[in-house]
Amino acid sequence: MDPLFLAYSYFRRRKFKECTDICTTLLEKNPYDQAAWTLKTRALTGQVYVDEVDVDEEGIAEMVMDDNAIANVSRPGTSLRKPGTSGQAGPSPGVRPTSQSGRPLSGFVRPGTQGGRPGTMEQAIRTPRTAHTARPVTSSSGRFVRLGTASMLSTPDGPFINLARLNFSKYAARPNLAKALFEYIFHHENDIRNALELAALATEACQFKDWWWKVQLAKCYYRLGMYRDSEKQLKSALKHQDMVDIFLYLGKVYVRLDQPLTAVEMYKQGLEKFPGETTLLTGIARIHEGLTEMDKAVKFYKDVLHFDNMHVEAIACIATHHFYTDQPEVALKYYRRLLQMGVYNAELFNNLGLCCFYAQQYDMTLTCFERALSLADDQTLADVWFNIGHVALGICDHNLAYQCFRLTLASNNDHAEAYNNLGVLELKRGHVEARLAFQEFLLISERRPAGHRPTLGSVGTRTYEPTKSVAVRFL
Amino acid sequence: MSAASDEQRSDSSDKWLDAYNDRVASLYTFTQCMTLSDIQADGDYKLIIADLGTGSYDMKLKVYKNTNLMSEHTIIDLPTGVVTFYMDTLEPRTPAIAVASGPYIYVYKNLRPYFKFTLPPLDVHPVEQDLWDQAREGQISTLVMRETLENLRLEGAVLTVKSLRMLQLEAHDLDAFVQVHRTSPLKRQTVITCLATLKKSLADDDAISCLVLGTENKAIYVLDPEAFTVLATMELPSVPVFLSVNGLYDVEYRIVTSCRNGCVYTLKRGTSEAIVKHCIELKSQPVGMERINKNIYVGTMDQMLHCFTAKGKKLWTVKMPATILTLEAIDFKPKGFKAVAVALSNRQVQLYKEKFLVDIIHTEDVVTGLRFGRFAREDGTLVMTTKSGSLFVKILKRSAKFEEQDLSAGPPAAQNTKLNVPKKTKLFVDQTLREREHAVAMHRTFQRDLYLLRLNVAREYAKALDNSMNPISSDPTEPLKLSAQIQGIGPTFKLTVNLQNTSLTQASSELIIAFEFDERLYSFRKKLIQVPMLVPGLNYIFDTFIDCLNDKGVSDNVKVFVLRQGKSVPLITGVISMPVAEVVVMS
Repeated sequence: MDPLFLAYSYFRRRKFKECTDICTTLLEKNPYDQAAWTLKTRALTGQVYVDEVDVDEEGIAEMVMDDNAIANVSRPGTSLRKPGTSGQAGPSPGVRPTSQSGRPLSGFVRPGTQGGRPGTMEQAIRTPRTAHTARPVTSSSGRFVRLGTASMLSTPDGPFINLARLNFSKYAARPNLAKALFEYIFHHENDIRNALELAALATEACQFKDWWWKVQLAKCYYRLGMYRDSEKQLKSALKHQDMVDIFLYLGKVYVRLDQPLTAVEMYKQGLEKFPGETTLLTGIARIHEGLTEMDKAVKFYKDVLHFDNMHVEAIACIATHHFYTDQPEVALKYYRRLLQMGVYNAELFNNLGLCCFYAQQYDMTLTCFERALSLADDQTLADVWFNIGHVALGICDHNLAYQCFRLTLASNNDHAEAYNNLGVLELKRGHVEARLAFQEFLLISERRPAGHRPTLGSVGTRTYEPTKSVAVRFL
Repeated sequence: MSAASDEQRSDSSDKWLDAYNDRVASLYTFTQCMTLSDIQADGDYKLIIADLGTGSYDMKLKVYKNTNLMSEHTIIDLPTGVVTFYMDTLEPRTPAIAVASGPYIYVYKNLRPYFKFTLPPLDVHPVEQDLWDQAREGQISTLVMRETLENLRLEGAVLTVKSLRMLQLEAHDLDAFVQVHRTSPLKRQTVITCLATLKKSLADDDAISCLVLGTENKAIYVLDPEAFTVLATMELPSVPVFLSVNGLYDVEYRIVTSCRNGCVYTLKRGTSEAIVKHCIELKSQPVGMERINKNIYVGTMDQMLHCFTAKGKKLWTVKMPATILTLEAIDFKPKGFKAVAVALSNRQVQLYKEKFLVDIIHTEDVVTGLRFGRFAREDGTLVMTTKSGSLFVKILKRSAKFEEQDLSAGPPAAQNTKLNVPKKTKLFVDQTLREREHAVAMHRTFQRDLYLLRLNVAREYAKALDNSMNPISSDPTEPLKLSAQIQGIGPTFKLTVNLQNTSLTQASSELIIAFEFDERLYSFRKKLIQVPMLVPGLNYIFDTFIDCLNDKGVSDNVKVFVLRQGKSVPLITGVISMPVAEVVVMS
């Protein structure tokens, strides 16, 4: 069989390793084999490819040294940085836990939903940064560095392409090679400056008529924090071709510029062209969620389910909403749907357990928690214990609750809620001294601004944390 | 009258003028025995008070004109109610005063005794009649007679006053008593408990009114004002104590009566027995009842003011700060202001408009009698008599404005806001059905799981204790607390360890801080920190620098142990998940 054909076959079957190996042998025989070279580039890119649209991580530098904000004091309901100002009533923050910035925790953890926004540079730097918080200094480090490292590990004998020796203008003129090369530089090498140079040359070479290159330019600008340039490129690309991607990128740019309403507007424009596109609908729902307009968010999530009834994020978010608006029985139904769809992890079982408990289906409750415990990893374990502690409080077994909260602390030393509840329990037992110790600890953990709150769960609301209300009830 | 205004103002209410204070009026009376009426048809309203005197003698009917006592009449028995009513159509329209006392109603006209109405006598128990007949003829010994009477009473028969008195006497007084009383006819009479008026056929202010009386034999009588005959008799399940009447006798009327059994009954024209359907059961005995518009306000002995609709539906209940003594409806027509005044045992009179407290009048003494109406020429006058016998008269200021909720008593406003309770879903109903059907199985499963869970938790907890995995020591002999923080961007981090002795008295010494880490990834500049003696309460800070040896963006957990010298098991442990060292800074 023709090895190149086999390599293509591997590529299509996403067996990138095998594909790369064949291409390497082909290239050893003939270093100028363009087909093999392109294929190898694409295979290497494919190994580390992450959809740009969904990856969004704000580094400390971006957040604190943000010069894109239009107004320091934004009008109510128009900023993601001051959520809860839109005047829409949702469940009170005492019931539904919020992130540090005041936004309700989402039912679905994705990059950017974690942690909060530190107020000042000092706070940001002083923040103890642990893997739990996982906030990188800038968005160009962090996750992308890790991806890049992974690619380096996969090519032990040096990089496949030596970027420093490439003549970009030569490649830019050859669109068949240039696109693969760009993606390689962008994703595999994570070298945004060179990617930008290539993209600029390439778009020039095709007389600024190819929308693809404009989108790539925008991606580069976005990574470099030049959001206005990015917006310009995307708008220009939109004139050539209506693509869902472009709308999504534009939405992302506007969110970064803290213009959520414009972002929603953009998504809606996209929906006119692509009615029923679930990614656009999800985008709108996420922004409403960010603005604490839960009713609207749920409405859009329901629209998403209308078009795609297997949408995990939508199901999880609707379930969370129902849970926190005192309809655990409905939430239970949604979570069960997730379970039927094959989601099988600690968070889901934890949530099922909580829903069962609050919907009075007691026979299922503890079984679910047991499953959650057995499935939990280091990060989720603390929260599962915490919730079992809450169930114990619910059945008035203070001893069990105490042990559970202690176990929470054993798995996560920074669990502020557990410190609080332990303090309250100690007070109930009359150990004022011990209670003071816990409360002091709580103060320490609360003082940590960003991201001390555990950021767990890929699906679902993991934690129901009515800590504040418990504190009020007991103190 | 206002000239008599007392300088010494005991209350700070800006809504009432002090018109008259007489602390030595020595009145012993209650709300039912007070009324305000134009008894001389001269437009000057008088205050009529039936004074209970000492409670056993010296009962008087007193009429005040302005602040002066205008006339006094002796009443033979304790008065239980005073009303004024028009009994004829003669000009000038002077109303008559009716005083209920014992089984009689004394009617005064133009302040002169006019008529005495006696309630129809009741049937005497035949055995009792027989006994007294025998006694008259001297055929029975007094002791036997007394014993038979005693048995009769124990059987539940209602005896006459004469027999009851006899039962109270000592054995040696019996003969004398029988000698004196054996010849007088045996009569069983009842006692009037409450008194009210009911317009006969016209609704005018000065139309002829019937008298309505409640009696001790659980009945209500309606009397014709001219002939003084009983027009209607209505039986009740219990003894009526308060009456509220409206309507016209000839057309349609309602009598609302609260009884000693803690029930409020509504009687209509044409019913001879209280229909139990129209019964409001109170949780406690009523101490006052008023009717404003269509609502019935009842104050009960458990410090509650209730409001019911005419149909008996409860509208609201307000808890009073003290025991309720009496109620009075306030209907100030010039302003259209309707409220109910509640006299409390904490020397306050509170005004409630609907359920909202609108005013508090502080008084010098506990108010027992309240009457609001026209006194002299002043429309809004509140007459109060107190436990110590004083008489206070207050005039409602014309500028007075009663704002609802300006003095919010009762439940806080938040209690009235509706909770956002979600609708009951069909799912919920289905689940409830499941619960109902499988309750036992569910409970068993839950209990079994709970035992298992407790066991598991205890195991895990023991494991955590063995490994001292907690940052707060659970060992009472080593009360220590640890918190560790990582600062910096990398590749060099600063690890700060805060250590505190949480006990109040006991110092700890001979401690070491040690670390567990991956030597391929990190290098600690201090691998062991000697801890000085820890004074209780103080926070000790130790730090060390950590260098990250890897530039691949890998991170690991680092453990901080606090150890006692010579022991291998740590006292407490903190786990830190290290952040990724920033490659940007490194390159």
